[in-house]
Order: sequence, then structure tokens, then C-alpha cells
Amino acid sequence: MRKVLSAIIALVIVALMAFGYYRAASHHHGSGEVNPKEIIYEHLGDAYGWEIPFAHDVRIPLPVIVKGNDGWHCFMSNKVTGGETYEGFKIDHGGEHNGKIVQIVDGGKEVRPLDFSITKNVAAIFVAALIVILMVFSIRNWYKKHGMKAPRKGTAFLELIVDYVYYDTIRPIMGKDAPKYAPYLLTVFFFILTMNLMGLIVIFPGGANLTGNLAVTMVLALITFFIINLTGTKEYWKEILWPDVPMALKCPVPMMPFIEILGMFTKPIALMIRLFANMMGGHMVVLVLMLLIFIFTSMFGAIVGGATTVFSLAFALFMLALDTLVSFIQAYVFTILSTIFISMSHVEPHHHE
Amino acid sequence: MELFTPEFGLVFWMFIAFACLYFILAKYAWPYIIKSMEERADLIDKGVAYAQEAKAQLDNAKAEADKVIAEAHQQQAEILREASKLKNQIIEDAKGEAAIEAKKVSQAAQVSIEQARKESEKQLRQEVGEIALQIAEKVLRKNVSNDSAQRELVDQYLSEVETNN
Repeated sequence: MRKVLSAIIALVIVALMAFGYYRAASHHHGSGEVNPKEIIYEHLGDAYGWEIPFAHDVRIPLPVIVKGNDGWHCFMSNKVTGGETYEGFKIDHGGEHNGKIVQIVDGGKEVRPLDFSITKNVAAIFVAALIVILMVFSIRNWYKKHGMKAPRKGTAFLELIVDYVYYDTIRPIMGKDAPKYAPYLLTVFFFILTMNLMGLIVIFPGGANLTGNLAVTMVLALITFFIINLTGTKEYWKEILWPDVPMALKCPVPMMPFIEILGMFTKPIALMIRLFANMMGGHMVVLVLMLLIFIFTSMFGAIVGGATTVFSLAFALFMLALDTLVSFIQAYVFTILSTIFISMSHVEPHHHE
Repeated sequence: MELFTPEFGLVFWMFIAFACLYFILAKYAWPYIIKSMEERADLIDKGVAYAQEAKAQLDNAKAEADKVIAEAHQQQAEILREASKLKNQIIEDAKGEAAIEAKKVSQAAQVSIEQARKESEKQLRQEVGEIALQIAEKVLRKNVSNDSAQRELVDQYLSEVETNN
């Protein structure tokens, strides 16, 4: 009975949404063509100011910190997000630095300043970090307060994840090195997971496409890269520069060392691209499904658009559910691969009989 | 293509945020959490081991108690057997002693009977002698003087009579 009821309610909601989109679309139709590419990149990209739900032009102002040719400037983003010029700075629109702050130097030329702005993505990174701190400290505080008692409710779930990542992944792979690298790997896992999930929540504290941004995944991959190569043992370097292969493969032409050195860089790059592509792809599919409504409306009229709404929403819902799964999987994959790469750089000399 | 060209500002802040996050968590949270979880796992392992040991001990104790009870039963049976043996022996002994006593009593009775018989015989002899003398006196009142030679003769005759009997 309850299942039937919730199915009916869901249908009604979907129908109402379809109707709403139908009205909005037929209204939108007059105001101009839909530019899917622009909309997608706007949603996936960074922004000065944080859009709040249901009001495209109202944004939470965030600090802009830039260093132009005349020193540092610091102001709130609402001074420029409307298209104005403030202290010689404005947001470029449609130019070479589309969507970024540029400085107008003499002669009306637009130059990109050194930009340390707290953009939407940066603010979202801070929020994610804060959430991770709160989550992790909730486990720690439980142990501080209750000692040996097993955690309950949400803390128990977090502990389950820690248990899974540490005891079932990091420790079996790293062995005695595990306690040394576990803090980094656990932090990476929770940080990526939080950023992934926050990206799926479309309204205010979430909605920033963080792990689908190459800068974010690049930093994480670079840190892993440095840990791998700075803590690598002698044997690790020997295997790269003078591997145990027939002399012909390494002496006149250093073919194997060349491949190994290439491998040093492909590992973190694969980490970076994998996370970025997975998360961005998921977001993009949802956006495209949503845009189909508007595209079909402008192409075939409002009725087709209204019908598309139902299918688009159903598929988008499915994609978001899939993305939730992917969020966990990608955070886990990044962590386990980092673990494996780090432990691979701690090889001890093999003993040949 | 903004997505594929990392922004320097974002990289910078990402690195700062991650570094702060890492140092806070690595210093104050993760080691403590891992230690606590390990301690709890150890505690649970120990608890299980302790429970198993306790169960083993309990089983052991039960077996031991059964053994003690069996032993007690055996001892009880032995004691009972011994007691019955003792009883029989006592009865036998008592019977034997009673028989000896009875024998003694009957022997004593025989002795006393013999004595009494001898005594009475002696008495009878005297009385018979006397009676015979009186009779003889009456018979021979005048002829026979009551001297000792006569008496001896009678005695002799009596003895003869007795032996003839």
C-alpha cells in the first residue's frame, strides 16, 4: 500500500515538474536560442560568487584577491559579477579569458592578473575540508568520550569506512609501513569522497564540480607523485635506472630505463585523469539530459519538450544514483592505487637463488 | 577550455587546504582513531580467547566433578562391602565364642556333677556302713562287741559288695 502511494506521489511530482518545465520552456522559447555548450561549461566550471538556488543572478559574494601590475587588490566579487569594472578589473566575457577576471591596462588591453581569488571552487574546497574535519573528529571524539565502546549511528558508519579503507586495503598492501602513510591515504579518501558527494548536491554548500576539475585532481596526484618518489628506496631507483633485464635492452640505447621513467609519470597522471574524467563525465551526462528538454523544446515545440522532461528526469535520477556509487568507487580507487604505488616504491632487494 | 587548463589560484588554494587538512588530521585524529580501533580489536580478541578458555575450564571442571562423583560412588560401594564382611565376621566370631563358652559351662557342670556324685557316693557309703553296723549290732547285740576290729571287717565286706556290684 505504502509502495503504491509513494509511486503515485512520485508520478505526481514528475508530472508537475514536467508541467513546470513545459511552461518555463515555452516562456524561454521567445527569449532566444539555448546554447548548450555555454551552459554546460558554466555549470562545470568555476565562478566568482556562489549561485544560490532558483535565482540565476543572485550570487553569494566571495572575496577576489588579485595581483595586477599595480599591486594587490582585494574586493568582494559582487562588485564585478554584474559585468561592471572595478579598480580596473572586470570579468571577461567571450574573450580569450572567458569567465575570468582580467585587468584592463592602458590601451584597453585585457591582461590576466595573478589570481588568488576565493572562487566558488576554492570556497567549496574549504567547506569540504571542514566537513572532513568534522566527520573525522566525530569518530575521534567518540573514542575519547566512550573509550572501548563501539560507535553508534553515523559515527559507526564512518568507522566502518575507516575500517574498510585502513584494515582491508592499506594495511594488507603496505604491511609495516601502513601506520606511517595511513593518515595521508585516509585523508585523501575522505577528502575525495566528500568533494565527490558535495558535487552531486546541486544547492548551496555543494554544487561545485571539484573533483571534476583538473586542478584539484592534479594537486592530489602530485602529492602522491612526490610521496612515491621522495620516499622510494634504493632498490626502487635501481629498478628504474638499471632494471634487471638483458643488457641489450639497457646498455647502448636505454630503452627499459626510458620506459620506467615514463612509467613514473604516467602513474600519477592516470590517477589525475581517472578521477577527473569520471566525475566530470557524470556531471556532464546529467547536464546534457537536462538540456535535452530545452533543446527539444526549441526544436520541436513545447509538447515534445514536456514529454522529454519525464524521460530526462528519470535518466538523470538514474545517473545521479550511479554517480553516488562512482563517488565512492573513485575515491576508493584513487586511495588504493596511491597505496599500491607508494608501497611499490618501498621495494626491498630481491633475493635470487 | 577552462576545464582542461588548471587555474593557478585553484591549485594554490587546493594545496593549502589539503595541507592544512592533512596536518590537522594526521596530528590529532588518525593516529588516535587507528590506535583506538586496534585496541578495541585486541580487546575483542582477548575477550573471545578468555571466553573460550573459561568454557574449556568449565568443561574441565564438569569432567572433574563427574570423576570425583564416580570415585565417591566406588568408595561407597567398597565401604558397604567391607562393612558387610565385617558384620559376617563379627557374627562368626560371636558364634564361635558362644560355642566355646557353652562348652566350658557344660564341662564345669560335668565336673561339679562328678564331684557331687563322688560326694554323694562317699556319703552313701558312710550311711550304708552305719546302717549296716546298726543292723549288725541289732543282729549280734550280745555276741559281737563293738570293737574296732569288727568295724574294719564290716567295712571290708562292704567294699567287697561294692566291687561286686
